[in-house]
Amino acid sequence: MKLGWKRKKQIMGEDLKEILEKSEDFQAVSYQNKKTKTRFTLFYITSLVDERILHEIALPKLLNGDFKKLGDAKKILPLAEVDISRNKNEIEQKLFNGAVLLTVEGEKGVCCFFSAQKENVRNISLPEIEFSVLGPKETFVESLKQNLNLIRKRIPVKELIVEEIIVGRYSKTRVAILYIEGLTNEENVNTVRQRVEGIEYDEITDSSYVMQLISDNTNSPFPQMLDTERPDRVAAALTEGKVVLLVDGSPHAVIAPTTLVEFFNSYEDYLLDWILASFIRFIRFFAIAFSVLATPAYVAILSYHYQLIPVDLLNTLVASRRMIPFPPVLEAFFLEITIELLREAGARLPTKVGQTIGIVGGIVIGTASVEAGLTSNVLLIIVALSALASFTTPVYRIGNTIRLLRFPFLIFAELWGLLGIVVCLCFVTTHLLRLTSLGRPYLEPIYPPRLHDLKEAFVRPPLSTLRERPQYLRTKKPARFSRKAAKEKKDIDE
Amino acid sequence: MGRLLKFFIMAVLAAAALSGCVEKNILDDISLVNGIGFDYYDETKIRGTVIYPYYLPEKDPEDKTFTAVSEIKKTILDDIGRQTADPVVTGSLNIILFGEELAERKGILELVDAFQRDPGVGSTLYLAVVEGTAREFLEENYRYRSTVELVSRIIQHNIDRGDLPKTNLQRFLFDYYQRGKTPFMPRLKRKPGKIVDLDGINLFCKGKIVDYLPPDKMFFFKLLVDEYSEGLYLVEIDEGKASVHSIRSKRKFRLMEKDPYKIRVEIDVNGVIDEFTGNELKPATMKKLEHEFENMIKEECTKLIRRFKEKEVDPAGFGHFVKTKIRNFDIEKWRNTDYKDLTVEIKPTVKITQSGVIE
Repeated sequence: MKLGWKRKKQIMGEDLKEILEKSEDFQAVSYQNKKTKTRFTLFYITSLVDERILHEIALPKLLNGDFKKLGDAKKILPLAEVDISRNKNEIEQKLFNGAVLLTVEGEKGVCCFFSAQKENVRNISLPEIEFSVLGPKETFVESLKQNLNLIRKRIPVKELIVEEIIVGRYSKTRVAILYIEGLTNEENVNTVRQRVEGIEYDEITDSSYVMQLISDNTNSPFPQMLDTERPDRVAAALTEGKVVLLVDGSPHAVIAPTTLVEFFNSYEDYLLDWILASFIRFIRFFAIAFSVLATPAYVAILSYHYQLIPVDLLNTLVASRRMIPFPPVLEAFFLEITIELLREAGARLPTKVGQTIGIVGGIVIGTASVEAGLTSNVLLIIVALSALASFTTPVYRIGNTIRLLRFPFLIFAELWGLLGIVVCLCFVTTHLLRLTSLGRPYLEPIYPPRLHDLKEAFVRPPLSTLRERPQYLRTKKPARFSRKAAKEKKDIDE
Repeated sequence: MGRLLKFFIMAVLAAAALSGCVEKNILDDISLVNGIGFDYYDETKIRGTVIYPYYLPEKDPEDKTFTAVSEIKKTILDDIGRQTADPVVTGSLNIILFGEELAERKGILELVDAFQRDPGVGSTLYLAVVEGTAREFLEENYRYRSTVELVSRIIQHNIDRGDLPKTNLQRFLFDYYQRGKTPFMPRLKRKPGKIVDLDGINLFCKGKIVDYLPPDKMFFFKLLVDEYSEGLYLVEIDEGKASVHSIRSKRKFRLMEKDPYKIRVEIDVNGVIDEFTGNELKPATMKKLEHEFENMIKEECTKLIRRFKEKEVDPAGFGHFVKTKIRNFDIEKWRNTDYKDLTVEIKPTVKITQSGVIE
């Protein structure tokens, strides 16, 4: 194990004990071995140690076994992680990872430790954020060990490398970097390793912290790494040649590098047959464009380009706006903010109350504001539809981005009409073009154009044609399978 | 990033400062004029009438009309703007009507020219001549929710399925500016009982009406003017009368000879019989019908062309066609002598493909 953290001040033996004794849950108990009469002391933190391991496994061996020196203790303890160390830093770190320290009378400055960590692991639950009707239903939990288990089970090969780095001055969070050797581009792995090692922060509580700290551009509303709660998605990403980060205490894995279009691809797309999946993907892209542009287009057209409205629609539009005292932009802002409030209130409240809020807000406020003549019912439909459309994004993070993106578009639409929307679109495109994810272009299959990746970006081709891994990852093995072998196997069937 | 941000802030500031340059027209705060009519007032002035729908919640819109007298179109709109509650805009203009007297005495070109220069006006705008004055025509309450919609729908479906050749502002201007071609306009009539009637076609030369074709000539006019057309015509033979619906017809010009020019007009009509008053429709009768129809087309089209020559108009665009076929086309010579000497041979081919389901 690497020690990626640096201590500024070393706490030496006696100081350590002095500080520790201030804590109520620190224990130092002395015993005497029944056979050899060796006196030994156990140091541990009760809240971190599994008493069962300590009292039922370790202690009987230490009391009844044949042991005089620390070296003997290492042999008689039937536990996996037993080691001897003189390094004070390591000892301290072990102690706070749930290890029990063992010192023997007469041997100074050295101690043996064995892990008796108490693991509070939640049960593996159903996916909530990335729910899919088909496919596996397991999700990550807050334990790194358990999460690694879920991934290892899916990729049981020796090439799957798990590196660990500890970050956070106080949190001492274990961050695991996963990749497949001989497949993943080492440049990507090195970048991730370097950036994770470079993290200087006191408390890392979740993978989102790591993600934010190592993103290429932190001043962007667009997420540059994909986080997922699904082990199957992680396994797919690893075999595609991506790097995965797991953070202890976080039920989300971070996948990098990634491109914008990947945020709009649901993992379920790969579980449906390709025609259906492509259709759904197409609908999703349409929904996203609609969600961002519908309200701004309404504002622009009603304020500047009345020529664009079909004659048959004029009556409906003008009649619904006749009584409204606000210009279209204020009307739109009013409704958009109402929707945002509902969403935010719904997200902060318990599920059942949240549902009620949604219904009350959606129906009562909507109808009332139309009846009161504050908003037109045409806009109410547009705003509700675009809110609905923004929920089709399969990744939560990009959904939030889309929520935000609508507002600058609205302002530009108010200032310059459709021209303003185009100007804003130019700004967004410029920003996206400049974005990178681990130094790989974020807008990849579109710019720089990669025909092969483009095929997979907008439709979901049949699996048998997905022979090559994404080009932007620059994998060491570009082919997923051998076409010749696949053909041979198929020929046997026929 | 810093540079981009700076640029962004500058752009937003510029947007705020410059947005005064773009004219903002909020939909419900403007009077969306959808029809304008022009009439003869006196030697120098014209009278303009605008019509716009006043939209009411859960009801059909009410048409409102305003009138002003002035020399040019823009001042008319300004004068009308002084009478209306909201500013008058022309962006959703759908029809422009010209009173008969104005189109005959003063010419309409300067008025059309103004619309051609107005960026708010789309090109799919119908022009029409009305019998009597445009003002009276627009002020009438027809039995339809909106006058303008009624008129534009009449013109639209008669172009799509009836005997009216394709026409709109763009085509009118094309015909006008194209050497060797003259424009035309549909003619509308107010009928007792609050009905609008599409009553033939007016032929124009230099912006003034020079001829009028009644509705029964429209079928043949369309055959000559439009490359592809559709329409209905009544054919009479000894066995009875048949209404032939031309479902698809094609017209082609061929330059046969030069000096003097001879043009062959090939007209292929594919038709079905909608109605037959006789007893039985035998294949022989069908042949006879086809032959009779061919003769009629030939006769009527020749008559039409003779008429065009007399009035010195060329809505079919023979001059334009000749221009595309020869070098050094001299439009003066064409107008003065060549067009008068032009022989046009009509070569119709009629094919009746269907005569009914139940036999």
